[in-house]
Amino acid sequence: MQLLWQILINGVLLGGLYALMALGLVLVWGVLNIVNLAHGALIMLGAYACYYLFTGFGLDPFGALPLAMALLFCLGYLIQRCVLNLVIRAPMFNTLLITFGLEVVITFLAQMIFSADFRTVNPSYAGANFLWLGATVPLVRLLAFGVALGLTFALWLFLDHTALGRAIRATAQNLTAARLYGVNPRQLYALTFGIGAALAGAAGTLYGVVSQINPYIGSGLTGKSFAIAIIGGLDKSIYVLVGGLFLGIVEALTALYIGPTYTDVISFGILVVVLIVRPTGLLGRTA
Amino acid sequence: MKLASTLALSVVVVGVLATVPWWGSAVLVQFGINALILATLAQSWNIIGGYTGYPSFGNSVFYGLGGYGVAVGMVQFQLPFAAGLALGVFLAVLFAFLLGLPVLRLRGHYFAIATLGLAEVMTAIVSNLEIAGRNIGLILPLLKGDTLFFELSLALLVITTMTVAWISRSRFGFGLIAIRENEEAAAVMGVNTTLYKILGFALCSIFAAIAGGIHAYWITYLDPTSAFDITLNVKMIIMAVFGGPGTIFGPVLGAFVLSAISEVLATKVTSLAGIFFGLVIVAAIVFMPRGLADLVRRFRQQGWRYFQANIQAHRV
Amino acid sequence: MKQLFSLLLATTTLLFGKPLLGAPIELGASVQLTGQFANTGRYYGDAYQFAIDKINAAGGVKIGSTREKLVLKMLDNQSDVNLSVRQYVQLVSQDKVNFLLGPFASDFVLADSAIAEKYSIPMIQGGGASDQVFSRGYKYIFGTLPPASDYFQSTLDLMGQLKPAPKTIALLYADDAFDVSVADGTRKAIGKTSMKIAVDQRYSSKASDFNSMLSLIKSQDVDAILVAGHETEILNFIRQSKTLNVNPKLYAFTVGVPSADFRAALGQDANYAFGMTSWVPSPALKDDYFGNAEQFAAEYQKRFGYEPDYHAASAVADVEAFVKAIEAANSVDPAKVRDAIARVDFDSLYGRIRFNAVGQISLPQTVVQVQKGKLVPVYGPKGAMEKALYPMPAWGKR
Repeated sequence: MQLLWQILINGVLLGGLYALMALGLVLVWGVLNIVNLAHGALIMLGAYACYYLFTGFGLDPFGALPLAMALLFCLGYLIQRCVLNLVIRAPMFNTLLITFGLEVVITFLAQMIFSADFRTVNPSYAGANFLWLGATVPLVRLLAFGVALGLTFALWLFLDHTALGRAIRATAQNLTAARLYGVNPRQLYALTFGIGAALAGAAGTLYGVVSQINPYIGSGLTGKSFAIAIIGGLDKSIYVLVGGLFLGIVEALTALYIGPTYTDVISFGILVVVLIVRPTGLLGRTA
Repeated sequence: MKLASTLALSVVVVGVLATVPWWGSAVLVQFGINALILATLAQSWNIIGGYTGYPSFGNSVFYGLGGYGVAVGMVQFQLPFAAGLALGVFLAVLFAFLLGLPVLRLRGHYFAIATLGLAEVMTAIVSNLEIAGRNIGLILPLLKGDTLFFELSLALLVITTMTVAWISRSRFGFGLIAIRENEEAAAVMGVNTTLYKILGFALCSIFAAIAGGIHAYWITYLDPTSAFDITLNVKMIIMAVFGGPGTIFGPVLGAFVLSAISEVLATKVTSLAGIFFGLVIVAAIVFMPRGLADLVRRFRQQGWRYFQANIQAHRV
Repeated sequence: MKQLFSLLLATTTLLFGKPLLGAPIELGASVQLTGQFANTGRYYGDAYQFAIDKINAAGGVKIGSTREKLVLKMLDNQSDVNLSVRQYVQLVSQDKVNFLLGPFASDFVLADSAIAEKYSIPMIQGGGASDQVFSRGYKYIFGTLPPASDYFQSTLDLMGQLKPAPKTIALLYADDAFDVSVADGTRKAIGKTSMKIAVDQRYSSKASDFNSMLSLIKSQDVDAILVAGHETEILNFIRQSKTLNVNPKLYAFTVGVPSADFRAALGQDANYAFGMTSWVPSPALKDDYFGNAEQFAAEYQKRFGYEPDYHAASAVADVEAFVKAIEAANSVDPAKVRDAIARVDFDSLYGRIRFNAVGQISLPQTVVQVQKGKLVPVYGPKGAMEKALYPMPAWGKR
């Protein structure tokens, strides 16, 4: 029983990190209709940003978080403005392919610049943990969970209650109408993708503290983010929390009761089943 | 007239290619086998992706099932190669029918992601199957000499292309194209969309499976990651898209051109090979999203403005 | 006489495309210089080149009355098995190298060695230790890594001598060829002791989350944890065992611990971890070209900027084995050299090089422990060496 409780705690905390990873993907997908296969690569870059800020300037990862987000925002803005904007009205499949190409390029450049050595971000409190109702709770994972909640809430506030957020949603729904209202779509799309990249940067920052960083972690994280996005649903950013938690708990339970080699079977199996049965996700409105 | 000359040219090209193992260097033969298999995969994707308009990221599953059919058949049951191939094809077609049915109800990028998910699931499932050697994979018996593999791959490509050519002129093919252009209208006009889609998917699976089987026997080693290689999915799509989806020779052309450049880079300037592929994809999608076939046709009329026109049409 | 010699040279060149005499000996290799295995692959790339440079500086390889230089033709397989297979075919059939040096990792060796066998060109590799590599009856493949199934033997011997003796063991292993072989062998070896296996878990090679396994281990009150996996996983494992406050009396790993950047990435957290190496840079290991292992390590560090470990030493041994075999066979004919390799027996900076009937070397592992940031050998082929710090203090008490 004790073990089960610990596993559930593990799952929930893992789920928080997962949700944070998928948040940026969901924003860009739900709003811009861009399926970003390079999302994991952006997370990887966020992790490296945190690493260099930590080792180079001694910045604590949570202090480096806003900076990493800002850096990734600029990168995302540029990517959308210079590359993705050129194909965004093509069949959606094209953006899928082009983001795959970007993923290859980014990963390759990362290896050239950062080398293949793996890195860790090791602040003094990296191993801190405390006991809660009989389960050991790692501090950093709890903080990551908090950050995920905070950013999800912030995103919802932004999209629903600010002028810019509303403009983004309006452009997504009807480009022509938005143009008539004076929206500059190139700018707007770039901003949105930039925000998505910034969220990926936040996830990367925390990922570097709980796991380790190397140029190749991108594609695996993209896959996971997809599963979470689909399972939760793309309509509202809060659904990603549900998707993340669900996947985190299921994976933790699977690893214990079925076997650690089956987690991918279950994760992607659920992805496929959800797509077949309820494509809009566990919570989304039925199309 | 055009048909006759195209046919004659094709026969000559195939005839010349068939003699390569006798005068070509071992490296050329090896490159040839790889390129032929990739071309077959691109062509098989063409059926479901190019003609039917359903961008499948799951053809690697058929490829992998074909490979495992041969591997399991030859290693665990001591069957001959042909029997292994048959087993692989059977598994692939079964999969196409069983999973095609629910998954083909999805559209556009949901379909793409569902097939991608399926590819991941199959990799994970097979890596847990004892009979398939779990994640370690299987080692196949060694067959010295590449001539057999070359000729088989060539024959496979020819058959696949001929099938695609037949599709492009048949009622079945027109049905697929109708589905691509407007599925609801096609259904209203009496096309049995479900049946046609499943058949298209199954056809893909046959060719991809045989390609996988040949490759597995040739490399003599198979494991879940290389059998169900996810990047292979993207590669075959890029080649088909680069060459011209929905055309007969486009995917073949795309496959050969990209393979050649990639091979040269991998052997001469190895450090750049990785990034080359990514850059080609990005450039191709931006400047020539309708493929080489379209480029060749329109370039005559429009010249360099073709590229600009593409961007103008697709940018925001 | 001179004219006759030139005529002979010209004729052989005409007949065989490559002169049989009077040409450099080419060694071909496809190594993971980029891609996810690059941080270990580079040991092989750098060591192959280093060894060849040293041997050439000493005059090269003696065949008959002449000395020939060695040339390395190395390709980057970008950590892609399929590409490495194609590259080996290219090396053999287009570049027409004389002999082959192997890549890193059993998965790669399994696939690439099939090419060596297919074309009957000897390959000596120091990267693949899994039992499958040597159980296919291939004649042209030789390996300088000790058999995977024996990897934990020295560690188990050490554990038998510790007080209080560990009673329960958790055995965790990745599901690739090498680690499964290690686990199978270790299970048998544990069966011969009085220790019991409390947890026996196979995990996916791509795993980065060990929380479930660690929680399970914690709930079972396990004394010792043995992990057979890859550096990246083991790094995650140690970090996560800290965050989940898992405190076994001892934990030992197949890889990672000997390599400097692994210990650097973990900092203080690396302390008390046990690892193993088939090689320590000791001056007792004498070598014809490098003096001894200690000198080799110092020169390597100076030239490449990082410390070598057993991967690099093993790679050097591969090159030296070829040289010894070519000199013994007095020819570069593949079949003759192959037979000569099977018979070599010499001392190198890596240890004694002698291949058994299936082509594998036998070198006992030395158990090492990280103590205050330094790597300390605690148990070697001749028994206990320096004192092992045992049991491991709990995370909170360090």
